[in-house]
Amino acid sequence: MAEREQGVLGTPVTRRRMLQGSTLAGIAAFLAACGTSATSPSAEPTAAPTPASSAPPASTAPSPTQEPTPAQTPSAELNWANWTYYIDVDENDPNKHPTLDRFKEKHGTTVKYQEVVDDNDSFFGTIKDALRGGQDTGWDIVTLTDWMAIRLVRLGWLERFDKANMPNFTANLKDRFRSRSWDPGNDYAAPWQSGMTGLGYDEAVTGPLTSVKALFADDPRWRGKVEYLTEMRDTIGLTMISLGLDPAKPDRAGCDAAIGVLKAAQDAGIVRDVKGNSYAEDLKSGDAVLAMAWSGDMMQAVIEKEGLRFAIPDEGGIIWTDNCLIPKGAAHKFTAELAIDFYYDPENAADVELYVYYLSPVKGADEVMLQKVPEIKDDPIAFPPSEVQARLVDFGALSEDDEKYFNDQFASVLGVG
Amino acid sequence: MGAFLRRNRRLVPYLLLAPGLLWLLVFYVYPGFQMLITSFWSGSLEKGFTFSLDNWTNYTAALSRFQGYYVRSIGYSAAATILTFLIAYPLAYAIAFKGGRAKNLLLFLVVAPFFTSFLLRTISWKIILGDSGIVFGPLKDLGFLSEDFRVLATPVAVVSGLTYDFLPFMTLPIYVALEKVDKRLVEAAQDLYAGPWRRGGTIAGIVLGGGLGLLLGQIFGYWPPFLAVGGALAGAIIGALFISESFVRVTFPLSLPGVFAGSLLTFIPSMGDYINAEFLGNPDTRMIGNVIQNRFLTQTDYPTAAALSFILMAGMLAAVAVYARALGTEELTTGRV
Repeated sequence: MAEREQGVLGTPVTRRRMLQGSTLAGIAAFLAACGTSATSPSAEPTAAPTPASSAPPASTAPSPTQEPTPAQTPSAELNWANWTYYIDVDENDPNKHPTLDRFKEKHGTTVKYQEVVDDNDSFFGTIKDALRGGQDTGWDIVTLTDWMAIRLVRLGWLERFDKANMPNFTANLKDRFRSRSWDPGNDYAAPWQSGMTGLGYDEAVTGPLTSVKALFADDPRWRGKVEYLTEMRDTIGLTMISLGLDPAKPDRAGCDAAIGVLKAAQDAGIVRDVKGNSYAEDLKSGDAVLAMAWSGDMMQAVIEKEGLRFAIPDEGGIIWTDNCLIPKGAAHKFTAELAIDFYYDPENAADVELYVYYLSPVKGADEVMLQKVPEIKDDPIAFPPSEVQARLVDFGALSEDDEKYFNDQFASVLGVG
Repeated sequence: MGAFLRRNRRLVPYLLLAPGLLWLLVFYVYPGFQMLITSFWSGSLEKGFTFSLDNWTNYTAALSRFQGYYVRSIGYSAAATILTFLIAYPLAYAIAFKGGRAKNLLLFLVVAPFFTSFLLRTISWKIILGDSGIVFGPLKDLGFLSEDFRVLATPVAVVSGLTYDFLPFMTLPIYVALEKVDKRLVEAAQDLYAGPWRRGGTIAGIVLGGGLGLLLGQIFGYWPPFLAVGGALAGAIIGALFISESFVRVTFPLSLPGVFAGSLLTFIPSMGDYINAEFLGNPDTRMIGNVIQNRFLTQTDYPTAAALSFILMAGMLAAVAVYARALGTEELTTGRV
């Protein structure tokens, strides 16, 4: 025990040195954690808990017309949060996206494209605290579904588009999106893709299906192997269609009726589970043979397993839209507008469409697609015929109280209420 | 600095604890306090939340609406803990006493699943337990099982997933405790005529096995008598043939600290688990973790979610206190018999 402890440098390690060293290390770590990229404001942890009410909701009245912005330059980088499988992908390298590379060539911006949106609610959970505190979320573009966009518009947490920077968007947005009740001037949300919700089934087991009522029928071919979606608007929407109600005008009576049908089907043992995207895996493995399904997923699933089909029921199906939004306080708003506008060029929109096979909101994209790949003209998922499109219904906008009611009732279908 | 510390020797332990306490303060106490405030809010996301002590009704409302989920979660977690114990104890015993040179390799194999993410392990169970997957597909083809049979989307799958996920948490503490057992004590017991436990073992096996079978049957929703009889039989055989008195009187009591730690490390996280119930279960098997997730994320009903979380925490603290009392804290912290 006579030896003194040798430190790394050969000098004895005393208590003083130890404390000095760890203090320095601690300060360094603290600074590193606090420092963020140069463009975002200081990342102070959110303020101490305020017992008083949170900030009152911002008014949704349009802000006074903006002065013409001075000439701006695209930034060096752009942060975009999107869903998976929602953009074109290089055949040889799944991490490369040809359209984003073209954007970089045109404007010099590196787009940090991250497929982190798994679910509207969980993604909202990651940005709400920053938005509530009036801070930059770190994202310049986020792609979220209509109803989440409605909520963000109502809360006043989105930047208003400067249309002077978005000529393609103004010219090429399809007419059906031009007068949405919650964004009549198209100032806050730019549709990215639309998709359909209908029936996904294994024809080898169930036979051809055309009616939405199959989902609630006690048929031995699919008893116990039916799956519904956790997405409340899709599930309740399809159920309302089966009852002859109009999902474009959702009310509490319609909700109660739909919930009744869903619970009855669950009690009768028809339903296997209520889940999100993973229904596609169950259809492929055979654990489920009939599900409420999304058109883009089924496009892929149909290729992977013989016998799988997607159909919009005769009574109707749901159409939904994901939108590009610019959160309030985004660091690169101008570049975000350029990026959104870039994808409203029919060429670029068609390139994305040829990978994701949803429905494009861009006029002219369909024609470009047909030129490039004429055979898909007959694909009912990529190009639903007009009589199918006429059957598609958009789930109507819900007030906050109604949304709470619908979600609360739906929780019992999910098994958590 | 050195002189300051020499004069205030009593401060040194606190200074050493400071980083850990700071971490706890920032990442545990502060968010916990935030959640407590949140649980007394009323209002909504768009209209704003207001704090009021009158909102203690959030707690009573949450408890009365969701108490069934607490009961179910306790049931699943208890089942998972017991099953994990039954698998982990023999495993740890074998590694500690019979491992020899392969000990390190065996321990590595126990821990190896941790190298993959929790989510992936649960999803892989979904694939393994698929209705026509690698386990049940061949069995069904050979006619041993009916086409309708399935394990996925049942409570059995959920508890199995929980058991699998937490097995290393139970195995390692028990292993550590067994490793410390002085073999000479076991030899001494054997010298003093401790032999196979025969009659005592059979009786204990029947009682414990039967009771366990009954409990599991209740939790899984299967016909309890069938499982109870099976459990009693298995218990009797194990008790009669494999348990010795020296194990019961010496080894097991000495390993209690490990059992205590392992069961806490298994029961507490599995109470809050929501992944297994979501991926491997069906709408009738959702646990309190799923409810809290739904309330918080989907419904943005932060006050209820916070209240539910606090009730869960308080309940578990109380349970752990009772458990520690039952096992006797003296023995747990010092390891004395």
